[in-house]
Amino acid sequence: MNRALTLLPLPRTLRDTGWAMLLIPVVLLVITIFGRAIPWGAAAAVAGASALLAPVVAADIAAAGVVCLGIYFTVLTGWIALAFYHQTGNPLIRGSGLVGMNPVSGVLVVGSGAGVVLDVMLSALVLGFGVWLVPRTIGVHAGLVQRNAALASRVARLAEARGAAVDGAAAELRRVERDLHDGAQARLIALGINLRAAEQLFTSNPDAALALVTESRENSALALAELRALVRGIHPPVLADRGLGDAVRALALGSPVPAEVEIRLPGRPPAPLESAGYFAVAEALTNAIKHAAASQVHILVEHRAGMLRIEVIDDGRGGADPAHGTGLAGVERRMRTFDGILAVSSPPGGPTIVAIEVPCALSSPKTCSS
Amino acid sequence: MRVVIAEDLFLLREGIARLLQPHGCEVVAAVGDGPGLVRALINERPDVAIVDVRLPPTFTDEGLRAALDARRQVPGLPVLVLSQYVEQLYARELLADRAGGVGYLLKDRVFTDSQFVDVLHTVAGGGTVMDPEVITALLARRSSDAPLARLTQRERDVLALMAEGRSNNAIARRLFVSEKAVSKHCTSIFAKLDLPPSESDNRRVLAVLAYLNS
Repeated sequence: MNRALTLLPLPRTLRDTGWAMLLIPVVLLVITIFGRAIPWGAAAAVAGASALLAPVVAADIAAAGVVCLGIYFTVLTGWIALAFYHQTGNPLIRGSGLVGMNPVSGVLVVGSGAGVVLDVMLSALVLGFGVWLVPRTIGVHAGLVQRNAALASRVARLAEARGAAVDGAAAELRRVERDLHDGAQARLIALGINLRAAEQLFTSNPDAALALVTESRENSALALAELRALVRGIHPPVLADRGLGDAVRALALGSPVPAEVEIRLPGRPPAPLESAGYFAVAEALTNAIKHAAASQVHILVEHRAGMLRIEVIDDGRGGADPAHGTGLAGVERRMRTFDGILAVSSPPGGPTIVAIEVPCALSSPKTCSS
Repeated sequence: MRVVIAEDLFLLREGIARLLQPHGCEVVAAVGDGPGLVRALINERPDVAIVDVRLPPTFTDEGLRAALDARRQVPGLPVLVLSQYVEQLYARELLADRAGGVGYLLKDRVFTDSQFVDVLHTVAGGGTVMDPEVITALLARRSSDAPLARLTQRERDVLALMAEGRSNNAIARRLFVSEKAVSKHCTSIFAKLDLPPSESDNRRVLAVLAYLNS
């Protein structure tokens, strides 16, 4: 609807059909006062009002399919013309109803030529219909306008979140590429060079060759260790194996600070959300240990009423602020791509509560061997 | 020693078999998935099984589940679990039945074949071997909670090495003390962890378990 309306060269106030409706009694008033004295002016007023209203009505019908709105305007404006034709006796007013309107009001007005009684009856009928329809159409319209605003702000939010997600993913890939390039790849090259040298020394200097081979073996172990650390940072294997619940348990097990874990997940969230949730918990846990100097952490992961809820509470010194530092801000950005929200309560002196809520559906109940 | 290998990557499977052959290990079955592993373990009853955590068809922790499954059917069936990464969570699950005969190592420990064969023998003999990385992660934790808090620093060192599957002799050499001193520490550890005297290997398993659960 928005788009159809903005395409029309209407005065701003008229774009809102609600305002346009208010125009009708004003026109009515003008005609009542000046109708007999200056029939030409009255005719022009009716024609002008009709011309202004028609596109608004058309736009509403085209964009929102609110047919009743269209009918209402058609009939009501037709009735205005009809009523004031009787009051002023000016045929131009009758004609103006046809100019600004469309076939329906035209037929009404022309058909009314049969007799004044019929005209009055028609008028009364149409007026009654109009009175019945006004509150309803205004309600429909107000609803549309409201939903429109909500949709527009949601589109803006989604566009921002998508941008952040794309940027985040690109930065992450660059980091992975750099780590691979400087780490495992470099070690594998060194490995190849060492083994080639060992090959050449194999017969001439077996001891040196042996030393090189030993070094190569150690290097391959280091390359593996680097790859392992990298993989953990991308997608922790335990998360792939067991899902969010056990991955968070594993995090807590590895935590230098005692971390109590409470998991209430009857199934598994979608994989991307599991990953985001895991890294959110990891971030909050790291903050609790590194910055808040906490001595006890409580982690809750649950699914209730269509929402995945994650809570990390620590007894540290507080003062965490997602606006400062990249950690929690990153978590918030990532959660926004899932329509989730992050709330942090961290008064100086603690405790700190990091809470996340994301709408999500769980897949089938997990099958666990243990 | 009769060995079953469960590893889905052909190169690694063959590589491990080749590493083991000179050390008097006979590979009686080499399988590439979880269900095959359970069958091989139940049918062959090997002295020890070498199991990769990640196996088809799920490519998650299929190997670990299969090993746990087989040990439920045949308690104490020696299993050495290999993985590209170690998780304390998995270490606990492996140790949970308290039957011993369990190892959990990073795959690259295979490179040093003599040590690896030692580990195989320890596991086959009912011992417990945890990867040093599991131990390191444990040491990084604040061990303020009971019952480990009752142990002295030296006793904790001994327990850490015990968890890596080392014998008293090896621990003594590592800590530059006499074997007698180590066995004294062990007795003290068992007492402090409330482990009554019994068959000593089992006590070692329980001590390691208490350590991992701290």
